[in-house]
Amino acid sequence: MTAALVRHALPAAIGAVAAAFLGLFFLYPVLKVFGASVLDPAGTAFTLRNYAGVLTNPFFLQALSNSLVVAVAATALAILIGVPFAFCVARLPVAGKSALLALAALPLVLPSFVSAYALVLMFGRAGIVTGALRAAGIPFESIYGLKGIVTAYALTLYPYVVLPAVAAFKAIDASVEEAAQNLGAPRGRILRTVTLPLALPSILAGGLLVFIEALENFGVPFVLAEDKPILSVEAFKLFVGETADNPAAAGVLGVLLIACTVAALFAQRALLARRRYATAARRPAPLLTVRAPLRRLGSLYCWAVVATALVPFAAVVLISFLAFRGPVLQYALSLGNFAELFQRSYRPLGNTLMLAVVAAAGATLIGVPIGYVIARRRSRLSALLDLAATAPFAVAGTVLGIGLILAFGHGPLILTGTALIMIIAYMVRKLPFSVRAASAILHQIDPSLEEASINLGVAPLKTFLRITVPLMLGGIVGGGVLTFVTVASELSATVVLYSGPWTTMTVAMFQALEGTSAGVAAAAATVLILCTIVPVALVYRLLRRYELSML
Amino acid sequence: MTAITIDGVARNFGEVRAVDDVSLAIPNGEFFTLLGPSGCGKTTLLRMVAGFCELDRGRILFGARRVDDVAPHRRNTGMVFQNYAVFPNLDVIGNVAYGLKARRLAAGEIAARVERALKLVQLDGFARRWPHQLSGGQLQRVAIARAVVIEPEVLLLDEPLSNLDAKLRVEMRGEIRALQRTLGITVIYVTHDQEEALAMSDRIAVMRAGRLEQVAAPRAIYEQPASAFVASFVGATNLLRGAVVRRDGAVADVLVGSTTIRARLAAPPSLDRVALSLRPEALRLLGNGEAPPPGWRVLSGTLQEIEYLGAVTRFVVRLADGTPLAALALALAPPPASTGKVTLAYDPARVVVLGDGA
Repeated sequence: MTAALVRHALPAAIGAVAAAFLGLFFLYPVLKVFGASVLDPAGTAFTLRNYAGVLTNPFFLQALSNSLVVAVAATALAILIGVPFAFCVARLPVAGKSALLALAALPLVLPSFVSAYALVLMFGRAGIVTGALRAAGIPFESIYGLKGIVTAYALTLYPYVVLPAVAAFKAIDASVEEAAQNLGAPRGRILRTVTLPLALPSILAGGLLVFIEALENFGVPFVLAEDKPILSVEAFKLFVGETADNPAAAGVLGVLLIACTVAALFAQRALLARRRYATAARRPAPLLTVRAPLRRLGSLYCWAVVATALVPFAAVVLISFLAFRGPVLQYALSLGNFAELFQRSYRPLGNTLMLAVVAAAGATLIGVPIGYVIARRRSRLSALLDLAATAPFAVAGTVLGIGLILAFGHGPLILTGTALIMIIAYMVRKLPFSVRAASAILHQIDPSLEEASINLGVAPLKTFLRITVPLMLGGIVGGGVLTFVTVASELSATVVLYSGPWTTMTVAMFQALEGTSAGVAAAAATVLILCTIVPVALVYRLLRRYELSML
Repeated sequence: MTAITIDGVARNFGEVRAVDDVSLAIPNGEFFTLLGPSGCGKTTLLRMVAGFCELDRGRILFGARRVDDVAPHRRNTGMVFQNYAVFPNLDVIGNVAYGLKARRLAAGEIAARVERALKLVQLDGFARRWPHQLSGGQLQRVAIARAVVIEPEVLLLDEPLSNLDAKLRVEMRGEIRALQRTLGITVIYVTHDQEEALAMSDRIAVMRAGRLEQVAAPRAIYEQPASAFVASFVGATNLLRGAVVRRDGAVADVLVGSTTIRARLAAPPSLDRVALSLRPEALRLLGNGEAPPPGWRVLSGTLQEIEYLGAVTRFVVRLADGTPLAALALALAPPPASTGKVTLAYDPARVVVLGDGA
């Protein structure tokens, strides 16, 4: 039965590879974290004392509540900013729409802790704006603390709401709103009872992404939290151990982080369980005709949001070209910061580029076949693969990093201190994106094209290479570049896993922040921004077609 | 080009019997159509022949060669897909030459055969066009050229005309039929459109819920349907259920409601409860005082609806017991202007007696 063999053996082989990879490098480390949280110090007996210890410690409880407050506030703020933005772009004749959408998506590929650092440079205790405000007699303490973290998240994560919401607003068929109008509903009522409810599932899906990102992010709270404890940062500190390392307590915090994410996932599913709308617009709803003042207000709002989100990045770039004397900014142009950054070593830049290229290639190589099976075969196997390949999304980078060290720090396979363990962490973390990118493109390629090729005498594997891959190529390249970019600005797993020779640009910046080299940190941030913006700009035309399907 | 044998083939999808013990023998060069409503298993059966759907049971043979265990790319069938499936990354030549390149033919031979195939579907001059530059009808021709150029054992067409507009559909069905006669190729054609099936086929298999209801030539399918389902699916008909009240040689009287309808048969019906199929065009609305043709029977009722349909006019007559009957007449003479009492005549030889399907 050769036909049957091809039909079942290939997906089974892909499934086996995925299971081996995710089992060894995702499930096993996560189980190790869980194990560390429920074992006594000797690592032999089961105990709940670690949980008792953490959950009765006011400091850690504060960390848990801070993390949740920040994540919920950031999600709410991102939705508040993002939904009106999306509605304006989708339904009002605002100026410069394609530019608006491109710029709105930009913060997703830029490193968010750079934005946080820019907020410090501007609104910190010695910040430029803070100084100016004080000079003008306006009292302003500083941006540090939870409000700063929420601000940084809202400004960098709001596109997660905008992109799906724009798609949802555009996917509402014109006839649905016309029907409401025909039945006598005025415009405001239609918006409240038809348009927004239909877009709600997409808005919530975007909100969930914001929540998860805000919960797991390490860099932003590291820069902005100061003395406020945050789960992801505290887990890292406990594990790396400024005083004494405590993997058990770090494990408990890790499990708490995972539990919060999983709870959010279930909450979203419960909210959406009865709201499945088929909204493939045969005729997209037309742009609303509004009076000039309202139209100008819409344009103004959108451009103001985009500008506010990008100003911090621009500020960092600008500042990196100014001279510093110690931590004090001098208003003189200089390349001194870059000289100081690269005087130490070019190696971090080389590391970042190498690790990101290898990890992007690896994630693509594993992710595309998995995406293929998920999109093309309807079976229990593909449903399981879908679940398994999405799961890494729910685990914070810090937690995965801790798990990888617990799993591969000793025993038969020792990987700690190598570049490989970092690449593995990146591949695991980015796998959901490459899988989704691949399956999203495949959903746009009619399966009968592959059948036509097979029918004309080309074997299935060859058909995949000759027909499917060329048609997917744009999407594969786009997905690969996005993976490259997000790996280049990854910090939360990196900071746990890096070792001296494998210092990356993000770590170089992180180290400069820990010291007082504000200028070097700004220079490192600028280099990082270049590392992410240049590849995205190069393949922008490819990305535009697929960025929506990625989310 | 070959004869095709489908022998006891079955396939379940979960609890659903998609194809349920189907056996067919399709002789070499026949235009064979699988006709049925959506979900009847016709496309599944076609995909089994192409190799895209596995069999739970049964065999498929091309000539004497068993093919159901042959991989789809080694079966040498030419398939035309419902949505054409023209490769968007290849131009017209690239598409048509695709199967020939897979067979590693010499470049000169490929060029010659592609040219002949494009001429055959009247696409010479379009060789270097890209799919996005072609209309639906032209894409359809590319798909057909691509399928026939490999000289397949059998040409499989899966609702190939359903994405075309009505006028082009009629034009293309004539072309496909002519092409099949020119090439003398065996064709299996899947459609849910009974008019298409009647117009194109040598033989039709009517399918329902994974089973064959009837396999016969178009005229036999229409005039001697084997079941109430076939009678009502192929063309419009008045389907009346009743009981046989009198048998007299080849003549049977059937009581429908309180109306007795006579049928003349080749053999007397063995059942007591039957369904009658009375085609609307077999009923004639008699003019005032007009006598029925010899041997015909009459029914009287009330004319309820008159629908003017252009070439024909459709009437609905309600009999005394309330049974509605549809009748068709060529719209040559002006139809009765008003509703009221009318007389219908029918030829008992055109009344078909079926099992009542209960």
